[in-house]
Amino acid sequence: MDMVGGDKDKFELESRNEEDPMNFAAPSPSPSVDWRFGGLVPTGNPMAVSKGSTSMVVDSFGPTLWDQSQTANPQNLGGLFSDINNVQNSAGNSDTLGIRKGTPAAVVTLPRIDHKTFDMGWNPTSSVLNLKGGGGIFLPGNGMLPQSLSQFPADSAFIERAARFSCFNVNGGNFSDMVNPLESMGGTNYFRGGGMMQEVFGGNGQSHSQKNEVMNVDEAFKDVSMSVGEHEHDHGATGGGGSPLKNVRSHDEAKQGIGVGGSGPGNDSDEAEFSTAGGQDEPSVLEGTTGGERFAGGLESKKRKRSEQDTELDLAKVGPQQPGESAKDDTEIQQNGDQKPTSTTNKSSGKHGKQGSQASDPPKEEYIHIRARRGQATNSHSLAERVRREKISERMKFLQDLVPGCSKVTGKAVMLDEIINYVQSLQRQVEFLSMKLATVNPRLDFNVEGLLSKDILQSRAGPSTLGFLPDMPMAYPPLHSSQQGLIRAGLSGLGSSSDLHRRTINSQLTPMTGGFKEPTRLPNVWEDELHNVVQMSYGTSATPNSQDVDGSLPPGHMKVEL
Amino acid sequence: MNSKRFSPTSSTIKSRFTRRFLRALLKINRQRTRTPSSPMEICQRYLKVKLAADVSMASAVGSRRAWSRAMLAKIRHGVRAGSTSSLAMRKRKIYHGKKSTKEVGIVGNAKVLRKLVPGGEAMDTCSLLDETFHYIKCLSTQVKVMTRIADQICST
Repeated sequence: MDMVGGDKDKFELESRNEEDPMNFAAPSPSPSVDWRFGGLVPTGNPMAVSKGSTSMVVDSFGPTLWDQSQTANPQNLGGLFSDINNVQNSAGNSDTLGIRKGTPAAVVTLPRIDHKTFDMGWNPTSSVLNLKGGGGIFLPGNGMLPQSLSQFPADSAFIERAARFSCFNVNGGNFSDMVNPLESMGGTNYFRGGGMMQEVFGGNGQSHSQKNEVMNVDEAFKDVSMSVGEHEHDHGATGGGGSPLKNVRSHDEAKQGIGVGGSGPGNDSDEAEFSTAGGQDEPSVLEGTTGGERFAGGLESKKRKRSEQDTELDLAKVGPQQPGESAKDDTEIQQNGDQKPTSTTNKSSGKHGKQGSQASDPPKEEYIHIRARRGQATNSHSLAERVRREKISERMKFLQDLVPGCSKVTGKAVMLDEIINYVQSLQRQVEFLSMKLATVNPRLDFNVEGLLSKDILQSRAGPSTLGFLPDMPMAYPPLHSSQQGLIRAGLSGLGSSSDLHRRTINSQLTPMTGGFKEPTRLPNVWEDELHNVVQMSYGTSATPNSQDVDGSLPPGHMKVEL
Repeated sequence: MNSKRFSPTSSTIKSRFTRRFLRALLKINRQRTRTPSSPMEICQRYLKVKLAADVSMASAVGSRRAWSRAMLAKIRHGVRAGSTSSLAMRKRKIYHGKKSTKEVGIVGNAKVLRKLVPGGEAMDTCSLLDETFHYIKCLSTQVKVMTRIADQICST
């Protein structure tokens, strides 16, 4: 199987990031897997399995394991490593070598952790990685590998990759770096090592969970690599399995001898190299996986479910799918048009195992296209650019989740516009609030700071969000009026509740009119600072539900979104 | 959604920011005069509050983020530089006109984004997006906390 070769690399990478697969497994509800290594309970990530298998791959027996691992089914592993895996899943592992799609539960427990040998390079990475899910890299006994090896059509390629794979060890540590920055993003569970966005899995996995069934090992690779490379989003061409970071994907590339650095942003060059490597020799499967990998998280879940299918079927599918996917990814990336939506679509469609083995012809054609593209993409510049673009689209995806109201927006430029507007509106809100706090009478003197902090830290619905903007006009009277009544009215008007605000306004209508004239006499020093805020407040007070003049989200929406 | 996050751990960015900001607010309010403040005073206090918010947010984040580091550096060294740079920027505005936020293309938008995010000038697009992500998260946290504080002050 072509994928085997790629899988080998992926396994290696994965084994390094053994923890990553575990993390990936988290989203999928799978029985805890007794991972030998970390003792982590894998949540049945196919990735976890695949990771283990990657280490196996090092022995050049990757693919079969990979399939099983992808499904994260202990069964799968059992099939692969009949002796080795004490697959918890009792599901019969019919396939010996194969790519067993196994139970998606993917609790793969490898009796032997052969990956230790491979882990050398990855140890730092794995240690960094928090294996939440499975945390165990199962490495089928090397003895088992020979069986799987037979399934690998391109043994020499695998061996070559295995050799190259060693270079990944160095890069293994980079994954943690890559992943770490993204860790905090979105509060999702980012895999430290693999940069795989668990969030992606969590978010997309569910959506794609249904597709997992059909995923074959190849897809598993893709998923793994995807999760790993989520951040990276670069291994378009790398067929590496979901190994924690590019490294996994770079397995394919590995043969090229390109050590894919784990570090995220810095891996662009590496990724480019990898993609080149992958493109040249890698079987289509690998390529496909790479493309699939880039797809955030959703694929992973798909792969797990796919484990169920026959290995052969999967292989066949994977092969064509992967190239198709990668081709699609490449196309998309190159087009630079759709970025996330399209690539995602393609990947998901490509990997949709459930759809059954698709006609091999079209995938083959895609594969051919990929080949051609690879030829074009072998240029390091274009590859690096592609990797970079993938990374950017990956990050844009995260931003899309963060910025409210951007789910329907497609395209980088429009997204960036929305992001800019959102950032500006947030900054203006901060300015407005700070001005409000500055004008309010200091009643904090006797206010217990702890009381406030406790109150504030406790999540409570903030009624002021709706009314804080309209409060702006109310602030003016207190500022300029020396009348105590106005000040009190203004202060009470600053109350958070919009009802209170309206009542105050109505009650103070007469004095307010005087107050509203005040803004015209605002000192010039306010202009620069408060210009935007004033406009915003006036704009919002006039049309509370419409977007403010600058197009930022209305406060009501803000409240909901925030 | 926040409660479960805050109750177990007390060292989230939000809690750190809240504590620092409240301390700064108390300090600023102690400087207030009892008489009604003049607009200038209010303006200066507003600037102080804004600065306190920025500083407390940046220090709550720490040095892990490029934008927080850049913001802290700017605050520490930019008191004088800020005024001059703002003047220079105003002059530039006169010459070139206000830059439209609707610049074409991704690169143009990235440029605008760089201006918004502190420290964004010296970043590549990829890390700029990373920083923007984190910055947006922190800004929204800041807004939430400040609205809660303002509500507390105004309502009590």
